[in-house]
Amino acid sequence: MKNFFATFKHDTWVMPYLRKYKKLLALTLFLGLMTFFCGSALMFNSGYLISKAARHPYNILMIYVPIVLTRAFGIGRPAFRYAERITSHNWVLRIVSDFRKKLYQAVEKQAVAIRQNFQTGDVLSLLADDIDHIENLYLRTVFPTVIALVMYVLIVLALGVFSWWFGLLMLLMLGLIVIVMPLLSVLVNGARETRSRQIQQTFYTQLTDAVMGLGDWLISGRQQAFNDRQTAPIDQISSLRRADHQFQWWRDFTIQLIFGVICLALIIWSSFAWTQNQANANWIAAFVLSVFPLVDAFQSVSQGVSEWPSYQRSIVRVNQLDTKPIDQQDQTVLTEPFSQLQVAKLEFTYPEGTRPIFKQLSLTLKAGEKVALLGPSGTGKSTLLKLILGDLQPNAGTVQLNDIPIARLQNERAQLFGVLDQQPYLFNTTIMNNVRMGNLKATDDQVKAALKAVELDHLIDSLPDGYETVVEEGGARFSGGERQRLALARILLQDAPIIILDEPTVSLDPITEAHLLATVFSVLQDKTILWVTHHLAGINYVDQVRFLEAGQFDMAGTPQELYASAPRFKRLYDLDQGQE
Amino acid sequence: MFDPALFKLPGMRRLAVILALLAVVEGIFIIIQAQFMSVAIVGLWHLQQLGTILQPMLIFAAAWTGRQLLVVVKNRLMYPVVEKTTGDLRRQVMQKLYRLGPSYVAKTGTGNVVTTALEGIDKVQTYLMLVVIKVIDMMVIPWVILIYIAWLRWREALFLLAIFPLIIVFMIILGYAAQAKADKQYVGYQRLSNHFVDTLRGLPTLKQLGLSRQYANNVYQVSEGYRKQTLAVIKIAMLSTFALDFFTTLSIAVVAVFLGFGLIDGTITLLPALVILVLSPDYFLPLRTFASDYHATLNGKNAFAAVQKMLALPVATQRDQLGTQPLNWQADSTLSLQAIDFSYDGTQPALSTLKLQAKGYQRIGIIGASGSGKSTLINLLGGFLTPTAGQGTITVNGQSVTHLNQIAWQQSFFYIPQNPYLFHASLAENIAFYQPDAGLSAIGAAAEKAGLTAWIKTLPDGLATKIGEGARGVSGGQAQRIALARAFLDSSRRILLFDEPTAHLDIETEAELKQTILPVFKDHLVFFATHRLHWINQMDYVLVMDHGRIVEQGTPAQLAAADGAYVRLRDEMVGAI
Repeated sequence: MKNFFATFKHDTWVMPYLRKYKKLLALTLFLGLMTFFCGSALMFNSGYLISKAARHPYNILMIYVPIVLTRAFGIGRPAFRYAERITSHNWVLRIVSDFRKKLYQAVEKQAVAIRQNFQTGDVLSLLADDIDHIENLYLRTVFPTVIALVMYVLIVLALGVFSWWFGLLMLLMLGLIVIVMPLLSVLVNGARETRSRQIQQTFYTQLTDAVMGLGDWLISGRQQAFNDRQTAPIDQISSLRRADHQFQWWRDFTIQLIFGVICLALIIWSSFAWTQNQANANWIAAFVLSVFPLVDAFQSVSQGVSEWPSYQRSIVRVNQLDTKPIDQQDQTVLTEPFSQLQVAKLEFTYPEGTRPIFKQLSLTLKAGEKVALLGPSGTGKSTLLKLILGDLQPNAGTVQLNDIPIARLQNERAQLFGVLDQQPYLFNTTIMNNVRMGNLKATDDQVKAALKAVELDHLIDSLPDGYETVVEEGGARFSGGERQRLALARILLQDAPIIILDEPTVSLDPITEAHLLATVFSVLQDKTILWVTHHLAGINYVDQVRFLEAGQFDMAGTPQELYASAPRFKRLYDLDQGQE
Repeated sequence: MFDPALFKLPGMRRLAVILALLAVVEGIFIIIQAQFMSVAIVGLWHLQQLGTILQPMLIFAAAWTGRQLLVVVKNRLMYPVVEKTTGDLRRQVMQKLYRLGPSYVAKTGTGNVVTTALEGIDKVQTYLMLVVIKVIDMMVIPWVILIYIAWLRWREALFLLAIFPLIIVFMIILGYAAQAKADKQYVGYQRLSNHFVDTLRGLPTLKQLGLSRQYANNVYQVSEGYRKQTLAVIKIAMLSTFALDFFTTLSIAVVAVFLGFGLIDGTITLLPALVILVLSPDYFLPLRTFASDYHATLNGKNAFAAVQKMLALPVATQRDQLGTQPLNWQADSTLSLQAIDFSYDGTQPALSTLKLQAKGYQRIGIIGASGSGKSTLINLLGGFLTPTAGQGTITVNGQSVTHLNQIAWQQSFFYIPQNPYLFHASLAENIAFYQPDAGLSAIGAAAEKAGLTAWIKTLPDGLATKIGEGARGVSGGQAQRIALARAFLDSSRRILLFDEPTAHLDIETEAELKQTILPVFKDHLVFFATHRLHWINQMDYVLVMDHGRIVEQGTPAQLAAADGAYVRLRDEMVGAI
């Protein structure tokens, strides 16, 4: 219970939306209530109808009202239920739209950090799933529970009007069903949920491990070991599910027994309260029969509530996202054309790390200069790029554009930097739309000119839908080299003075790589380029080469100088050319 | 509605009979419960004392309890069968997976395979648990009740009987209408629902382009569009539930009114009328519970079909043509491929008329542009792909085989791809994967030869450090070294298949790694697919591939002299053209 309130203490995801669309919410709950009311009223009314009819009234008009009501309730129940389904889905989907926007904004602030995360896809899918989860929280848990609770209060009050002691008795008996059993379920399930998740997770990890390493398993010939590894989690899952089911069966059984007792109690109460005369006795069947339709409404509460622990996890996770607006102070713009990028005496250590990444690192790029940056993986090439872009702040030293610190130019970044990285993202829309993202104001002709510059015009002309071809998820329609060219066209439209190339050719074969580099350096001729690369193909395109090693540059110079003076560079270059 | 495949499950026929009998008993309990509750109510209606109706009340209570107990009993009978079936299915899926091998995973996708084995079978479990009992209940209980109602008064029974098929017909018609509507919108619908994840994944790019902030509204707009489309489908989809609800509740109302007129006319007394009224909701109940779980069962049914389909896939046979013990590959051993074809889809050839001879400890380089078939050839050599049947011949030491998915062959080579897979286990376990019984000192020695010692010293637990997905990150170069350590540890496997082992590494790491790899070549038959040209200098034979064919082969010197495909490819790769 305590952690139930703790979950909502700083909640910004569930409660605010309950308030935001409260009219629609109230309508949903009202319709849900009416559904069950009509169901119960139908039986109540029918019971009364036949009891009354059995007294052989002298005139059919005596039972005319119950007859009409019977039909009204009979039609009312399905109609209300249908309306309730539609409104509740409408309400939930509205919330989903808000959620998505909010989640997007939260993630947007951390866009760069997310790219660094190894399991990008997983994290994002997880968050997207969380939203779906919260959707189910409303549909499966919140609505049924609230409706059942309101019904509960109304029934107890209504019976209390006839007899306070019987009202009190029902308060207890129905309370067992709508309050005690659900709490018990969530308690039992909560404990089991943690364990279930662990086992499920182990099995998932193990299974993924087995599937991804299947080649090795096969070659190793260890089929027996392969099969044995899966046995333990399979058995664990089985025993867990068994316990789950057992609990559910007996819980439902108990709830039904309580309903049986309620029925008996009603009959006994009726024998005292409604047997004074024949007219009163007509109500007995009505009361007893009206209980049965309620079983549905009340029984589902326990199951819905028992799912709470899994929703709780989702709520906690989305609430952990930082949704505070960013500090926008002290931003400025570059008034003059870009003349130089200066990195001076940079020092940087990751907050969680101990090893300094950079020690007194300095680098100057004049407008139009092209510099290649090399170094073994893990030396901080990507970190340097993040410092230059202002995604990270140095511990000491400065990064300046024309004497203005990069931290003050964050709003203008897209006008200053164009970035082509390992896997530029293509959105699942047309070629035109994707490329136009570089500059939303670009005309069709400008977009086509950019695509021609990156030599994609022939390919696109050969496609049945031409420029309106949809690139499919992640650009799957095109090869790696073609995707890079599409992204390059986008950068051309963006027309920023500084271009960052972050290992754009790492996943390409040498022929595609050579062709792409030729295009890149010819279309970006007049730009300032900082190129992080993993090897020396195309190194002659640049003016300067820098080797990053242990936080400093240990080789620097033009490619020609280095080839002549640095044996290490010569050896690597020859290796790359296949000459060693 | 009732999947015939279900009856093929072991123990299912017998169980179905028992469940049907229990359903009859349950129906009888329902009748007793309704009858005696009505007796009690009618007693009070006649203004009798509470004492006179104690007996019917007790019978009602007993029948009610009995009925609920039966529900538990049915579940308990059903569960062991379901548990055994799903457990067996999981095991069968895993065994089948082992037989299908990595090419199946590559084709299907890791995610899909894992989902089938995990969530798919979970859905099957839910499906089996729900569908069998509910379908049997639906086929038995209403008729037991109806017979009793008919015995009481045939007119109401006839009405209830007539309405039953009507409900089902309406549900089916509306179900189809909803399906048609959903199908019509499916493509757009799918795109809208994926749009959100697509946007999130593209966020870094949006940020680079300066569009990320304004895109939030786009996300909202698209989501609202999705809402409208979804509602349009739901409005129709829910109609089938509405029809069910409408007909059942209205039927009860009609029955109540019928009974009311009957009572006024005096053609029926209160007791049977009340019994009929109490029984009519129970008559519809099995149909309603079945319908409410219909979607869960539909998912389960599809998952069940998917699992069955996977289990029915053909696997390679005749895997023991070379025996079951590892080959002892020696200096005079031979492998020969003659006129071998391969196709992924059965129509488009991926490899055609391959001809190659390998002998002893040759080092054979395979080069070609991307898409020329280098990896496909390596996979064929590893037996992960099966060549087109009935064409060409493969012989190992003169023994003819139909494919290389041979137990003996596969236990004689190491396969080192671009990204060797590291298991979620300790570093020592990873190195000793092929030799699980190897001692720690042997593992340490192999790690030393693979150049891992310096790195291991920086690890908190040394060789016992957990690596692989979710644990410590391992760089691409180190992963290659771990794969090499496996080869150093097990010197009995004398064949090495390399598939672009250094393509993604930076040049310095590659240069260092090369020094470690070269000594492994000694006394091994090596197949080395690469587009990094410097490796060719260490090969004594080269296959040049283009569009699935070996267009040139010979020693590097011969090829350089020939001025053919090899020379052109080299020039193109260094960017000379």
